[in-house]
Amino acid sequence: MTKLLITEITRMGQAFCVIGLQHEKERICSIRPVPASANGWLHFPHRRGDILECALAPFPAPKPHVEDRTATRGFQKSNSVAEAETVSYLRKAETADSLPDLFGCQVRENIKGAGHHVMPHEAKRSICGCETQNLRLELYANELRATLALPSGEVLRDLPVVDRDWRDFIDAALASTRGANRCARLDRFLNSQFHYKIMSCPHHFIRIGLTRPFQEFCWLMLDTLFPLPKPEWLEEF
Amino acid sequence: MAPSSIFQSDEQHRRLLVDCFRREAGSSAAIPGDEVDLVETGLLDSMGWVSFLRAVETASGATDLGIHLNGRAASFAILLAALRDPISAAAPAQISEVSRHPAAAAMPAVVASSSSAVGSRVIAAEEADRAFGMPVGKLRGRAGIASLAYAVEGENELTLGARAAEEALRAGSCGPQQLDWIIATSETHHDYPALSAQVHSRLLARENCAALDVGGACLGLLNALAVGQSLIGSGQAKTILVVTADVHSRTLTPGRVAGEFGGLFGDGASAFLLRSANGNGASGGYLLGEFIFGCAGQYAAAIQVSDSKDGSLNVKFDGEALSRAAITRMEKVLAAVELRSGIPRASVGGFATHQPNPRLVTLLAKQCGVPKSAFPPVARVSGNLGSSTCGAALHETLRNAAKQEPGHRRPIFLASLGPGLLFGGGWLTALENGK
Repeated sequence: MTKLLITEITRMGQAFCVIGLQHEKERICSIRPVPASANGWLHFPHRRGDILECALAPFPAPKPHVEDRTATRGFQKSNSVAEAETVSYLRKAETADSLPDLFGCQVRENIKGAGHHVMPHEAKRSICGCETQNLRLELYANELRATLALPSGEVLRDLPVVDRDWRDFIDAALASTRGANRCARLDRFLNSQFHYKIMSCPHHFIRIGLTRPFQEFCWLMLDTLFPLPKPEWLEEF
Repeated sequence: MAPSSIFQSDEQHRRLLVDCFRREAGSSAAIPGDEVDLVETGLLDSMGWVSFLRAVETASGATDLGIHLNGRAASFAILLAALRDPISAAAPAQISEVSRHPAAAAMPAVVASSSSAVGSRVIAAEEADRAFGMPVGKLRGRAGIASLAYAVEGENELTLGARAAEEALRAGSCGPQQLDWIIATSETHHDYPALSAQVHSRLLARENCAALDVGGACLGLLNALAVGQSLIGSGQAKTILVVTADVHSRTLTPGRVAGEFGGLFGDGASAFLLRSANGNGASGGYLLGEFIFGCAGQYAAAIQVSDSKDGSLNVKFDGEALSRAAITRMEKVLAAVELRSGIPRASVGGFATHQPNPRLVTLLAKQCGVPKSAFPPVARVSGNLGSSTCGAALHETLRNAAKQEPGHRRPIFLASLGPGLLFGGGWLTALENGK
């Protein structure tokens, strides 16, 4: 049995993609448990910070999703750790300070419009953590997008935010029961309190992931944003 | 806004939407009906939708279009309404067309005359190879540079800039006392008085002629032209002199920087006389179109230059990354200029772009599908002249255009880059075309 500290739960269409950290000898590395017949989980009742026991079998995942492992049995929760501790482990896993180091290859801009991608055969991995100099979330034409500056000063724009908890928070913020001008109120929150809450948090940390190859490219996404949103923040706007 | 001009504007916006949609969805994609939701019907996925919108923003000049589309359908109809009036598309508030598009009602600016100058000492690329301790033939073979123009003793940013300025004034039949502003840019002049002040004194401009320096390194000319256009457009000025001047050979010297970087640069200057379109002497010339500017921060690490305490120069230069960035971004800028201006690149008479090195110009021409001959060979003959590269290229393109019969002078595209990665683009059309 493998013990996995769940660090990522992302929304990919109707399914959830999950990544956890595993102790492997002296190092900590990312592992993506996947069902036998799909890339994501239609139901995943656990939370980040949960430590799950699971049976994993390696399989020849196409590059760059080298972290994929087939889960041969269900997950059994054995324990959980706090958010700050989860981030402390993430900081010991795959990290980078600059764009070329994120996935061990050149990151290209989308010549047609927005977004960034890598060539699947060039990337050495599909997930990487990093600190940020600055970060901004924006609801842009109904899509949640992130713009951030890496420690190197390089900027990534229009990253789709697929973090389940942040997406749920945004959905809750836009729920019709919350009254009028919801988009404008959310916009104000994202431009003011959000920035302070995120950037002043000592365990602020992000993980950037790659999509499965789509039209020859793997696109960059904001998989995880720590700190996670708190329900009481909804009362502030 | 009169109904007829709304109709005309809608047609322009529709053309933009169709062009951007085809770029995103593929050139053979069927154009959806106005009310079709592009995301719900799966014509574009969420990434494609955002990418499409960003392209529309760049091409139309409408900033933050997506903010106004929150909670609304992803359809052409909503987009057309937002492009016509983004604020009332989101809320019923009214705003006048003039206040939303001040440039539309502004006085147009014309490039009435131009000039350029380069350092008097021209050396073969092989001499620079030797000076920088590189294998002989490297600059010619790898970068495509045939010769470099270096300033001689007695030449500097001021003398080169003033030489170009005096020639541009002469060509425009304009006395320095007619100037309302002098706008200067240089990536190598860091002294005080600033370059604009020195040029002001050298030309003996009126005391109440204002002088301003703008930055942006190799993008400096476009920044300066945009500032000049705004001053004319707002009625603050009628006659403006824009001057660029760069002397790299005293800064990027052997022993201070690597030859692969320092060997690319030469010394030069350029000058442009801008006039309001209805001002005296603006009967010919080229009309400045709109400008596109931005900063592609993902390339920020490709080139960084700073002074160190011991007086040496810290240069971080990833030539390969910078080359890729330059080609990708300039192609993107030129595509955006093409979309926004409605001028097909095939009908452009010349491309006055930055030229990091001649090899990249060849690659850019190939990527854009236009003849290499449409790019004046500035960097091949004189080296990368910093902010003056684009200036020398624009002057050469204007000179070539002047040889054409009035009525046959074709548009000119501008595109340049600066560390950051700053980028900018724009276009000029012959005044007699009236576009």
